[in-house]
Amino acid sequence: MKMKKYLVALPLSLALLLPTAGLASASDHSHGGGTMTTTAAGAAEASNKAVDLRAALDSLLSEHAYLAVVAMQKGIDGKGDFDAAAGALLQNADDLSNAVASVYGEEGGAAFKEIWTSHIGYFVDYVKATGAKDDAAKKKALADLDDYRVKQAAFLDTATGGRLVAKELEEGLKVHINQLVWAFDNYVAGDFDKTYDSLRESIHHMYGVGKGLSWAITDQFPDQFDSKTVDTPAAELRASLNHLFSEHAALAILAMQKGIDGAKDFNASAAALNENTDELSAAIASVYGKEGGEAFHKIWSSHIGYFVDYVKATGAKDDAAKAKAIADLDKYRAEQAAFLDTATEGRLKAADMEAGLKIHVDELLKAFNSYTEMDYATTYPTVREAYAHMYEVGLGVTSAIVDQFPDQFAGKMPTEMPQTGMGGMSHSKSSTSDILMISLVIMALAVLIPFFIARRNAPKS
Amino acid sequence: MMNRMKIWFFLVMVGMIAMALTLTSCSKEVSPAVNDAQTAASSPSPTPTKSVLQTPSQLKEEDLGIVPVSISIPAIGVDAAIEEVGTMKNGQMGVPQNIDGVGWFEPGTKPGERGNAVMAGHVDSLTGPAVFYKLDRLKAGDEVVLKDKDGVTRAFIVTGTASYPRKDAPLENIFGFSYQRHLNLITCTGEFNKEAKTHEERLVVFTELQK
Repeated sequence: MKMKKYLVALPLSLALLLPTAGLASASDHSHGGGTMTTTAAGAAEASNKAVDLRAALDSLLSEHAYLAVVAMQKGIDGKGDFDAAAGALLQNADDLSNAVASVYGEEGGAAFKEIWTSHIGYFVDYVKATGAKDDAAKKKALADLDDYRVKQAAFLDTATGGRLVAKELEEGLKVHINQLVWAFDNYVAGDFDKTYDSLRESIHHMYGVGKGLSWAITDQFPDQFDSKTVDTPAAELRASLNHLFSEHAALAILAMQKGIDGAKDFNASAAALNENTDELSAAIASVYGKEGGEAFHKIWSSHIGYFVDYVKATGAKDDAAKAKAIADLDKYRAEQAAFLDTATEGRLKAADMEAGLKIHVDELLKAFNSYTEMDYATTYPTVREAYAHMYEVGLGVTSAIVDQFPDQFAGKMPTEMPQTGMGGMSHSKSSTSDILMISLVIMALAVLIPFFIARRNAPKS
Repeated sequence: MMNRMKIWFFLVMVGMIAMALTLTSCSKEVSPAVNDAQTAASSPSPTPTKSVLQTPSQLKEEDLGIVPVSISIPAIGVDAAIEEVGTMKNGQMGVPQNIDGVGWFEPGTKPGERGNAVMAGHVDSLTGPAVFYKLDRLKAGDEVVLKDKDGVTRAFIVTGTASYPRKDAPLENIFGFSYQRHLNLITCTGEFNKEAKTHEERLVVFTELQK
């Protein structure tokens, strides 16, 4: 495999991956008006080239897991939106391959794409074999996935110059494959709690992969990333918030689809969404205290309730109830925006927040309405936009928090090695003679002290 | 006459401090033997599931990080208690209070987690060898075993060693993130700079988790 060891316009291509809208202005405010301290390693930066790369990879990798689970469910159910869901999954693979190409060149991107899309194909094989109750074909698909793991791991090991070790990667990929298969098998078996637990785990798992891959790339090409690191407290907060915000959008869209379909897994999908809300509220509480977390939980949950109202009204073809749900969502936006403005002491402006939340609400409604209208070609690109938008929210909120509490994001790395010696056993001649001298002094003292005592006690003449 | 008395008094004091330090460094703490086998083996048994599907073994990435309380390095006879250290005001990594203790950089990575966990121990006291005196004798393949308070162990294997000027070590590589699970052991080496009261170099022994 030939790998181009130079970067081709990475910042540009990554910028293209993440549509900027809504909350971008919020993060600008906090940069401009705040007292953000920057260090060489970029410890207290919510955004820099390294952390942005991590976010871009987190976004694509976690979206892959989500879309794969969704596409597999749609596939086995023979749903009308299967093709569109699978198409979104392949679009995601294109974006990921482009990101790889931006680091490792066109050839590297193409080689990655071939390997990566192969595993999507094997999952499709597995779904088909399950539908056909063909155990041999299922086994074949799993064996192919095992081969894939080895190829994918070898690719990344080579590409990153051994920073990602194939053996470790194979284990990580095994977890990814197991999670997707487990989510699917349980879906087929009707154990939906396990299905959605595994979906959530599979999304979460990808953030470790995103961190590892972005770390390897930034370590490999420090000049291209201003020598910044992906491993800072601010980067961790941003990854956590990105994770929970984007998972919210993903699960909300899925639960709304399950709701209108009257699907058996609706309750489990809604429960997963509630777990996400609890975790998001806990993250807010970790910054703004228990009361802050509870207030956030109440407001945030309300908008999920309004979406449920909207789904119910749609099912009942009750236009008045739909209009009421939208009016409630408008009220929610104002309340949520005011909360964030107050909590961040004006770093997130209520007006910007309302605009950002409008994008979120509109995208979810568009994804849902197009789904009910069977306009799946609109649904899935909208799902992807809604997912990516939440990364803007994650960046905006992280920027505000880091700016508000800089001390908590100062970084933990020492700037100097420890002082782990006092010189007593130093091999240099001078200190050997020091020890010799001290020993001689001690011996001399043993003789002299009694002498002095004797002399002091002696009667003066 | 008085000046000479002062000089002698000073020398007496130096002698006494030296003796005291020698005694301190001899009083090696014996870490209590923990029955680790029992605790480590008692992992929860899988809960019975409703569905007939068999749960695959690798469904989640294992959290292998531990909070270490003791370290043992059989190849050089080290068996020491661990102290948690942080970063000092001057930016240096902190060091253990006990000359025979080992300091784990607690704000950083937990040993066993992905990343670089870091520990430091003294090479010597003012008068004699300290816990990591023989650290430079470690070679690839030697074992370092950590234990947490419940007796859970993590074994690391030495992969290499390197010495760096004390002001010019690759801190990001030693303390930063890694996708692998590393434990890096630091002590002093090289000439002792009497003016700076520190050795001129730092020895780093790199190890990785044995799975």
